[in-house]
Amino acid sequence: MSELFPRKQIMGFVFSLVLTAAALAVYFLDLTFAQGITVLLITAFVQALLQLVVFMHAGETEDKWIIYGKVYFMIGIALVTIFGTLLIFLWDM
Amino acid sequence: MKIDHSLPLEYSTKQNGLNIFGFWVFLAAEIMLFATLFTSYFTLEHRVGGGPSGTEIFEITPVLMETLILLTSSFTIGLGVHAMRIGNKKAMTAFFVITLLLGLGFLGLEIDEFITYIHEGATLQTSAFTAILMLTLGTHGAHVTFGLFWGSAILMQLKKRGLTKETANKSFIFSLYWHFLDVVWIFIFSFIYLKGMM
Repeated sequence: MSELFPRKQIMGFVFSLVLTAAALAVYFLDLTFAQGITVLLITAFVQALLQLVVFMHAGETEDKWIIYGKVYFMIGIALVTIFGTLLIFLWDM
Repeated sequence: MKIDHSLPLEYSTKQNGLNIFGFWVFLAAEIMLFATLFTSYFTLEHRVGGGPSGTEIFEITPVLMETLILLTSSFTIGLGVHAMRIGNKKAMTAFFVITLLLGLGFLGLEIDEFITYIHEGATLQTSAFTAILMLTLGTHGAHVTFGLFWGSAILMQLKKRGLTKETANKSFIFSLYWHFLDVVWIFIFSFIYLKGMM
């Protein structure tokens, strides 16, 4: 039975719950916008990285750097799209 | 086809490896799909017109339940893939069934959430904010719904054909899709709900 529950995955799950609880701090504590958004950015991106490495097995084959490269490149493009648009439409720069 | 026994079953042939690689290309495109939705959301979130704002309609309890359910389902499908790799088809099937049931629970909560919003006067046509909110949540919800059908089909194939290099490959690719939906939800949870309620 215990071989069905590998330590790595259980630790990954516990850590993802801890990150969710940490993100909830912005709801229950009285933080400023800058503090709150910093907490959310850190918890969300660590959570995403955790899923990618622990659960999606991104780094276990020979093409791991192509997979990581592709995903990081796309995240980069996504961030440019999001922040570029915010810059023009919301922050009036 | 040449079978390499040093690799897990889902990677055992050249074709299998390529299928998994191709799915990562698809996921990279999906990142961009959701990025454009987030872009529009951040641009339009304050354009509430005469309708309600996020602070007024978001509720922490159902959102937190949806998050915990989806996180747990991501964990159980991870255990399913692990069971598949040690060749335990029975445990694998059980974990996949649990995952799909959790996905169904998530979908039920999300449908209930949409009904609540509509009763509170936040429909697709109320304001730019409610339109982009429902479009973003709906796109994620549609992905989960598709995943439920896809996962069920894979379970049927697994029952009929057993654990072969093809079914193992399909199951692994489905697990990638499911984890990806969990990652997207984390961003929805953080930057739509929690940010909106901050």
